[in-house]
Order: sequence, then C-alpha cells, then structure tokens
Amino acid sequence: MEHHDHPAPEVMIKQYIKIALVLFILTVLTLAASWNWVPASWGEIGSTVHILVGLIIAFVKAAMVIYIFMHIKFDNKFLRAFIFVPLFLFMVLSFALNVLGP
Amino acid sequence: MSAGLSLAHEPNSGVPHGKLAMWIFLASEIMFFSGFFGAFIVLRNSNLEMFSHSAAELNPYLALLNTFVLIGSSLTMALAILNLQRGNTKNYQLFMGLTIVCGFIFLVVKTIEYSTKFGHGIFPHTNVFFAFYFMMTGFHALHVILGLIPMIFMLSKSFTKGGYNKPVKVETLGLYWHFVDLVWIFLFPILYLIFPAHH
Repeated sequence: MEHHDHPAPEVMIKQYIKIALVLFILTVLTLAASWNWVPASWGEIGSTVHILVGLIIAFVKAAMVIYIFMHIKFDNKFLRAFIFVPLFLFMVLSFALNVLGP
Repeated sequence: MSAGLSLAHEPNSGVPHGKLAMWIFLASEIMFFSGFFGAFIVLRNSNLEMFSHSAAELNPYLALLNTFVLIGSSLTMALAILNLQRGNTKNYQLFMGLTIVCGFIFLVVKTIEYSTKFGHGIFPHTNVFFAFYFMMTGFHALHVILGLIPMIFMLSKSFTKGGYNKPVKVETLGLYWHFVDLVWIFLFPILYLIFPAHH
C-alpha cells in the first residue's frame, strides 16, 4: 500500500459524494447525541458519556475527511506521519483532559 | 531519477514540494489549534457552571447549518480539483464557484451569529468562555477568508485567455480548505454541543 494510484475519476466522484453524505448524517448525529438521552441516574458519568460520544463522532468525521478528501488513502505513506502524529497528540490531549476533569 | 540511487539516501519524497510544504504547515496548524482546545478544556473543567450556561447561549442550529455548508464546500472543492485534472474547465469553474459561494455563506452565517451575540450584550470580554468562543471561531473564520482569496484568483484566472491549468496548486489549496473544514468539525461539538448542561 506504499503508493497506489487514484481510482478512475468516476469512482472518485461516487466516493466523494458518498463520504459527504455520511459526513452530513454524522453531523446530524452529533447534534442528536447532545440531547438528553443518557438516564439521569448515571449522574456524573452521563456527562462524560456525552462528551466521549461527541468526540468519537468528531474523530470519525476527521478520519474520513483526511483519508478521502485529503487523499491520504491514495498518497505517499510518508505524508501520513505529518498529519497523524499531531492528530494523535491532539486526540490524546482532548480525551485525557476530559477524563481527568472533575 | 537515477536508477542506481541507494534507497537509504533517497532524496525524493515523491510529493510535489508545494504539497509537502502544505502538509508541514497543516501539522503546525493542528498544534496551533490544539493549544486553544487544550486551554479551553482545562478552563472549562474548573468553571463547569459558567461554561455550561454560556454555551447554552449559542445557537447550535446556525452552527449545524455552517457545518453542512463547509462539508458541502469540501465536496465541491474535491470535484473542482478532479475536473481541472481532467481538463474540464466548465465544470472546474462551476465547482470552484460553488466552493467560493459556500465560503461566503459560512462567513455570512458567522456574521449573523456574532451580531446576535453583540446585540445581546455578549462580547469577548464577557467571560472566559466567550473569550475562547470568539478567539477560536474568529481564527477559524480568518482561515476561511484567507482560503477564499487564492480561490477567487484561481477561478477568475480560468476565465482569462490563457486559462488556468495548475491542478497541483488547486490540490494544495484543497488540502488547506479540507483542513479548515476539519477544524470546524471539532469546533462544532466542543463549543456548541457536548459541554452545555442539559440535565
């Protein structure tokens, strides 16, 4: 998987549209996930669950944008380090700070 | 490239220099925004009540609309690049134009949001939450504006006699534009959604 060429343009167009549709759906899901669906009896854990669900959806969306729209899936493997190392640090930061919070 | 070159000293990354530079710049951009996100989360943890109340003042539906607009513009940008690579100028102009329109719609919605906040007497100095809200969305909007400038150039150049045939440059700008979309993907839930107290 070192460096493979882009699929045919027709395939790419279909893939772009598919990805955009999934991103739209996940965006609506992000909004829905912020509603009050966690049982009140969960207490403090409930708000952590809210945050985690919101963040996980955001990272899934980010991965889709990076892989397909930004062509990391088809580009030189060398480039992946540039985006994934800082993104990983950002992910650790945001999860850790949320979990360590009150 | 000479065939006898040792792989251990391969000086060629196989990536156009402009694109490589853009990736390095974007990596530094991730760290730039991480600083904001990190500070925001730490301050939020020590001011839960105030952050929750302030976040509830924001309009998540305008932010939802803007998320759709940015994702849509990422799609049209990708299609614009594809069409320029294939030499289909008409479609390139159509999709590049749509991308620029989306960028402007985003800025208009942002302006509506800001002016509503100002109308309610909410300013960056109101509290720490709003200081971060205006800082983060302000820097993001600045990125949108800075992306629109070369886009407008690349579109208007394609209408001139010589045309515009530099797909790699558009692709490089596309990387930047998708990154602007990426930042918004995180700003949307973190500012508008997951932190307000709904209980």
